[in-house]
Amino acid sequence: MAEYYGVDVADIFNTMKSRFRPEGAEGVDAVFGYDIGEEGKWKLTVRQGEMTLDEGGDLSGCDVLVKVDGRTFVGLNIGKIDAMAALGAAKLKVEGDFNLFAATGKLFTKYVPPGQEVEQEQELVVLKRTISVNQRFATGPVMGTFLKGLKEKKILAIKCPVCGRLQSPPREVCAPCRVRNDEWVEIGPSGEMRMLEYCYYASPDPLTGETRETPYGAIGILLDGCRKDEVFWHLLRPDQLDAVQMGIVMGDKVVHGSRLRPVWSENRTGSINDIRYFEIDQ
Amino acid sequence: MQKDDFSNSYVVEGKLALPYTYFAGRLGSTFLTTLRDQARIMGVRCDKCGKVFLPPRQTCERCLEDIRDKWVALESTGVVVNFTVVRQQDKHLPRKTPYVLGMIKLDGADTPIVHIIEGVDPDKISEGMRVKAIFAPESEPSILLINHFEPAA
Repeated sequence: MAEYYGVDVADIFNTMKSRFRPEGAEGVDAVFGYDIGEEGKWKLTVRQGEMTLDEGGDLSGCDVLVKVDGRTFVGLNIGKIDAMAALGAAKLKVEGDFNLFAATGKLFTKYVPPGQEVEQEQELVVLKRTISVNQRFATGPVMGTFLKGLKEKKILAIKCPVCGRLQSPPREVCAPCRVRNDEWVEIGPSGEMRMLEYCYYASPDPLTGETRETPYGAIGILLDGCRKDEVFWHLLRPDQLDAVQMGIVMGDKVVHGSRLRPVWSENRTGSINDIRYFEIDQ
Repeated sequence: MQKDDFSNSYVVEGKLALPYTYFAGRLGSTFLTTLRDQARIMGVRCDKCGKVFLPPRQTCERCLEDIRDKWVALESTGVVVNFTVVRQQDKHLPRKTPYVLGMIKLDGADTPIVHIIEGVDPDKISEGMRVKAIFAPESEPSILLINHFEPAA
């Protein structure tokens, strides 16, 4: 007889007696027929918490008849193949009472090939920790002006004296023009939805150490007064994730996204969280 | 905008929380559970070169021998081979500063472990000092099952 995964089909049947679990056979009173193709036929009788096994012979009159090839049978028994997958692929056929077949999993302890017996399960140590590190961020004059604006319910952008580009949050320089930005412009506060990132994983907020609920929407908004890719990134009101419409610009073709307005926090401290989120402006 | 105008500059306080899961591995788990259940410090010994590693490791760094099953029990006494005094307080630290972190080579081991040394003035500690482990069996399975080391007679 051939070996599959290093295991003889006969070995699985021959060890059934020692692997039999009377507690798993409670209430099971049935005859199981196994037709393993070229490997042979077996008849398993389970009655009143005891089992008998007969090799060969006639399988008619069994309550369940399992037809399967040797490789699949071994794979199922050593956990290499999933029963549902094998059924789906028609590698495994069950005739008769399917519920009885499903109960066979409880009748025996798992077959372990000789030499692969596992020793007593080891206790494995897993520690969960949260480190919390205090931090201080210096805003500098440029980011400071922007954050101070938020405190006063103003969204400020800084303007490049050469190309006229608006940046918000602001940077001290316009990188493409390599010049120092020198003019502040108030933008928004409402705007048009451009991009939505549907976020399923949230990393901790470095300012609070808290992790926001998922999924959440990180959005790019083209605030009024801004052009092209001068989008402002913030959060979308969580319950409007599926209600917003994204805007698209493809060459000359412009699809306008939903109009959004900021929802300001009552207690503003000069932080990006002074805007709680943006919501649909109706 | 004037370069030195800092009237709009201010400091934002924050804190960074980093949740993580540390898996001790099979060797580390055996080491920690033995420490907890038997108050015994176990290292591994390479049969080929005789070097005894603490903390335990799977492979001898010199012979590349698989030494994961070669457990040896070590004494809970040892010698300070090096040390530093921690003076900068930070909230994640296990002790109030100043305290001493020592590298301690246990009797029977060839490699040192890092641990806290108490019961001695930080300015009076010296290399070669004999110390012993003080166990804290009730704590969770980490290296702090050894609460600290203190000078031994």
